[in-house]
Amino acid sequence: MKILFAGEGGQGVQVAAEILAKAGFIEGKKVTYIPNFGVEQRGGVSLAFVSIDEKPIVYPKFETADVLAVFSERSLERIKDYLGPKTKLVKGPMVKNGLKSNFPAKIGNLVVLGAVHKIIEMIKFENLIIAMEERFTKQFEKNPELRKLDTQALLSSK
Amino acid sequence: MKPLPSFPKCYKTESKPHKFCPGCGHPIVLKMLGQVIDELRIAERTVFLIDIGCSLLAWDFFDLPTSQTHHGRTIPVAMGFKKAEPEKIVIAYMGDGGAYAIGLQQTITSCLRNDPITTIVVNNTLYAMTGGQMAPTTVENEITATSPSGKKESEFSTLEGPELLSSIASKSAYLARGTTDKPLVLKQYLKKALEAQMNKQFSFVETLSACPLNWKTEANETIIRIQELEKEFKLGEIKR
Amino acid sequence: MGNQILARAAFEAGAKIMYGYPITPSSEILESWIKIAEKDENKNLQYVQTEDEMAAGFATIGSCLAGVPAFTATSGPGNILMQDAFVMAEALRVPMVSMIIQRGGMSTSTVIYSQEEVRLTCFGGNSEGFRIVYSTSNLQELYDYTLKAFQVAWQYRFPTFILADGYQGKMKGEVEIKNQDSSVNKPNVSPILKPGVNLRNCYNLEEEIGEVISQYSDEYQKKRKEIEEFEDYRLEGAETIIIAHGIVGAAVKEAVDSLRNRGQKVGLFRPITLRPFPLKGAKKVLEKAKKIITIESALGQLSELFKSEFYWINVPLLEINKPAVGFTPEEIDKQVCFFAKAKK
Repeated sequence: MKILFAGEGGQGVQVAAEILAKAGFIEGKKVTYIPNFGVEQRGGVSLAFVSIDEKPIVYPKFETADVLAVFSERSLERIKDYLGPKTKLVKGPMVKNGLKSNFPAKIGNLVVLGAVHKIIEMIKFENLIIAMEERFTKQFEKNPELRKLDTQALLSSK
Repeated sequence: MKPLPSFPKCYKTESKPHKFCPGCGHPIVLKMLGQVIDELRIAERTVFLIDIGCSLLAWDFFDLPTSQTHHGRTIPVAMGFKKAEPEKIVIAYMGDGGAYAIGLQQTITSCLRNDPITTIVVNNTLYAMTGGQMAPTTVENEITATSPSGKKESEFSTLEGPELLSSIASKSAYLARGTTDKPLVLKQYLKKALEAQMNKQFSFVETLSACPLNWKTEANETIIRIQELEKEFKLGEIKR
Repeated sequence: MGNQILARAAFEAGAKIMYGYPITPSSEILESWIKIAEKDENKNLQYVQTEDEMAAGFATIGSCLAGVPAFTATSGPGNILMQDAFVMAEALRVPMVSMIIQRGGMSTSTVIYSQEEVRLTCFGGNSEGFRIVYSTSNLQELYDYTLKAFQVAWQYRFPTFILADGYQGKMKGEVEIKNQDSSVNKPNVSPILKPGVNLRNCYNLEEEIGEVISQYSDEYQKKRKEIEEFEDYRLEGAETIIIAHGIVGAAVKEAVDSLRNRGQKVGLFRPITLRPFPLKGAKKVLEKAKKIITIESALGQLSELFKSEFYWINVPLLEINKPAVGFTPEEIDKQVCFFAKAKK
């Protein structure tokens, strides 16, 4: 299963991809994750390739994505090459006709992640939560209410 | 008159006579350094690192573990050695070109880090081994191979190393400038510098030195020249 | 991620000090090492973020001279600056270990990936390349070959390199941490600059240095067969042999599988040591091919290494070069299919 996350620096593209990759690993799958970005710390291109499979993955990048999650209007343009006839496209809350979200823009990436997780049907939701917990340990310690909010964001997409 | 100190025990007799030019300041500095090493009894744990330039001729001067390095890179090698063996006394020995031009970055940062190594800079105001080109310590109107009509301060200031470092050094670092014209005073600075290292502080001694070959001076002119330099570059310990 | 694995492997290999300067995509190696150092209860580990790559390289040499295993890491423009240190390590036979995480070639380029630092890492000094260079192709090899690099460096006293790239450095995946037994992994270290030793790298006359270089060369040629490594993948009966290294080698493996499934007689010869380039055993497998194809994310840097050792081989050679751009297995499959079928 090849998932490409595409957005801009600062949108949480890498965080979403890393959580998904970790969840896949916890599930017992073979996983690779690789980021691809330019030099700007904000704005600019931010891509993340996640491959999840039963057998070991030899090369971390791919030509055509099975699932393509787009975080910004500008990224839609950039990722046209990765769209295949069977690619499932997920548009984030910042994209026209994208997922509906009443959550703060900062966790829009979790809304997208939740949608991707639903589509790929490879990982138990509880493993996604464990992966998220690991990633946000410090944040949740500081503000335990984030936990509930973030979980809701993951569940929010239809 | 006091008798001159005898040759240091850590001299490597097989490599004598040394390779420095007649009238060069290096052998005086090295002799004083050797004396200090003897007196402090640290020969067994001293490591001597030298730059590329005339200092490289000292590679087999002492019966101490010695290594040539690359131009301007003696200080990081010294820092790396000291990090690995903090009990050793590590000396970085170089000329003004290595310390103040190509290695200036290394010199300044070492001071910022308060690296507990001892840096000795032999300043003859030019790049001697390569034929006498201008250096950051070349003084106003000095004629060198690359300043044939005399260096203009307005085009390139003269760098005063210990003073530069004093603006960033830690309070307990040791900074001084001596001269081969007054070897016994220089010897005291070298001794204090090594003692500073034993107290885990950064120590830096620049010494004015002569290069009669590239200065194109006779013996008496050489002495006059170095005494003139002593008016441009302040002698003494930098107190802060 | 790959960079974290490298730091961890260095720790397990017995490294005690790391020097580095921040440069993408290798900065995480120093950052991970610092985390490891701060967690280390014995406080035996050290690190310095230096003012530039030259200082990092030379400080690494300084520690190695003292007999303490130290290492450094860099990429691209930093690799260029570090050549100053690398060539001194060649001259003084210093066992420094360096991790090169290749980024885009030519000047600042991208911070991402290429295979364009092959020539630089193998032969970058004003020298004859008395270096050992391991080109890794996946996360597990980053780990395994780092352990090996420290042992080999201290055994043979040639500066040793892990040549990876930004894809491997930033990639996350599974790695097996083997053999935590301290004695097995550790290199055999001892001080190099010690009483009675005066080291020089400056010589007076041509014959003096000529003698030294020839001696080093003789030793390098004599010891190379103990060090060389390559992987042969499905070479039995291969009519077309692909030569690729690093992560491109990994992609080729997958392409070889898909090509073989369709009856194409293709195999992979993957040099693991680029220096010394694998000779022993390579001749036998390569001369049977009807066609050799080199594939790399550079303009023939790998091919050059191959050609210089195998210039005598009477097999048509084709280069597929994409400087600074990666190859997916699908793309390799397509290209090889096309060229393997093409007449000479």
